[in-house]
Amino acid sequence: MPSKSKIEELKKRKEEVLQGGGEQANAKQAAMGKLTARERIIALLDEDSFHEYDLFVEHDARDFGMDGKVLHGDGVIIGTGSIYGSPIAVFAQDFTVAGGSLGSMHARKITKIMDYALRMRIPLIGINDSGGARIQEGVNSLAGYGEIFWRNTLSSGIIPQLSVILGPCAGGAVYSPALTDFVFVVDKISKMFITGPEVIKSVLGEEISQDDLGGARVHAEITGNAHFYAESEIECFEQIKKLITFIPWNNSRKARRFEPKEPKPEFNIENIVPNDPKQPYDVRDVIKAIADDSDFFEIQQMWAGNIVIGFGRLNGETIGFVANQPLVMAGVLDVDSSDKASRFIRFCDAFNIPLCTLVDLPGYLPGIDQEHAGVIRHGAKLLYAYSEATVPKMTVILRKAYGGGYIAMSSRHLRADFVFAWPGAEIAVMGPEGAANIIFRKEITEAEDPEKMRRKKVEEYKEKFANPYVAASKGYIDTVIEPDETRKLLLHALEVSSTKVADRPSKKHGIPPF
Amino acid sequence: MPLKDNKQLTAFIPGTIVDVKVKVGQQVKQGDILVILDAMKMHNRIISPINTKVKEVNVKPGDRVTKGFAMVVLE
Repeated sequence: MPSKSKIEELKKRKEEVLQGGGEQANAKQAAMGKLTARERIIALLDEDSFHEYDLFVEHDARDFGMDGKVLHGDGVIIGTGSIYGSPIAVFAQDFTVAGGSLGSMHARKITKIMDYALRMRIPLIGINDSGGARIQEGVNSLAGYGEIFWRNTLSSGIIPQLSVILGPCAGGAVYSPALTDFVFVVDKISKMFITGPEVIKSVLGEEISQDDLGGARVHAEITGNAHFYAESEIECFEQIKKLITFIPWNNSRKARRFEPKEPKPEFNIENIVPNDPKQPYDVRDVIKAIADDSDFFEIQQMWAGNIVIGFGRLNGETIGFVANQPLVMAGVLDVDSSDKASRFIRFCDAFNIPLCTLVDLPGYLPGIDQEHAGVIRHGAKLLYAYSEATVPKMTVILRKAYGGGYIAMSSRHLRADFVFAWPGAEIAVMGPEGAANIIFRKEITEAEDPEKMRRKKVEEYKEKFANPYVAASKGYIDTVIEPDETRKLLLHALEVSSTKVADRPSKKHGIPPF
Repeated sequence: MPLKDNKQLTAFIPGTIVDVKVKVGQQVKQGDILVILDAMKMHNRIISPINTKVKEVNVKPGDRVTKGFAMVVLE
């Protein structure tokens, strides 16, 4: 038993470090509308679950007046705790201590908790709030970033990695979040860019505020770098907690199973999709009509809205939903929507989350800007991700499935396990208008009344090919179902595929088109 | 430097105007349908991203619009 005085000394030392940057710095943080690093961890994790390590770590810099300077915890807090009972490893940069700047010991604390998370196979949450590299520590700071990036990559696909941007995250620092699975941003607080407004002004003469360059809305709406946008830190923590309920601890586990619940009666699957294929609707209502308790947790809601991705549950099991959104740009596939969906599909595949794809799209978006932006390469990501995925894959064709879009959206040909189509499905190489104009060009131009002939041929084509039965006759779809049978069949498909074996030739790794 | 332009509602692809739901000077709320644009096999709803007043209406039913054409301008 250590003497009372030794215990007193420990308490005193702890108390000292727990002040972080001190009263003044903490007040400044509060004035910016920000919680302190320690307050954030406490708000995020289960009550009394957090255990901190490396509290007494000190920096070892000697140059530029750093010798003898005390930086509590070297500006970062690391430890472990839990969220709804699931173990979590966490680091939080402490902006009140030297602006949360990253020196070599600061980086070593982060890499220590990253190593721990990987070894213990538990999710890692990183809270970023840092002015960047600690200039006084020179290349040691850069080495620190590199060590973090290397571990992000090493852990990718083994443990879920979440990045929470609660302050500046600029320069090299932004690459760690970019390598992780989910990025959370908060209005007016998050700032992410490679080169900030000052550099842009001095090099290019362009003037822009930090918020307009890389604020929360920019990354949630324009760049797609962020997955979740919140108005406040507390709302952000609620999003993180909800996400944790949907994902497993690591890649050798399944996500936690919940008590199955029927969808809510207000989402009646028979009343959502209009008969007329030209009428839009919100595909999220279809997901809610299928998913347990009508609970759908959307990811990247504000970016590339023409495709919808997110988590829900079927029979208590987490499912990754991917759905074309007819409400936004007719639900076309393009550069951004392909990019958005393919990353999500790869996350689900890595973490044993079955995929449910809802199809209703006119095809890929034509246009010079799309072609020149590399829609071939980005569109190919989607084909790659679906083909590569070996988790159970269930596809429901709600209405339109035309051309390359039909193939890309988890078709039989990319090894979907189950493909169902509703009776109104139109599965064909292209739409009736375009197809009739090409196939019957001669008949149409040579007819006495070309317009009448064109309409006749369009109708003929529509009747013959714009339905699910041509594809069904080849076995490309397994069965044509009535909308109200959808959930029942998906539950059955999920049950049947729980012991799925998918053999693939062994390789070091594939080379996806990114 | 403009962020997402919430004022000019442009056609994302060439198409035909099916319906125009608003007049110049009219108050609109976020989510209100302004114009229906037939394109990509869909009657696309062009909705107001903000609460404001309509400044310009540059289309009428039957018009063909090119990509990027500002169909409605908001204040």
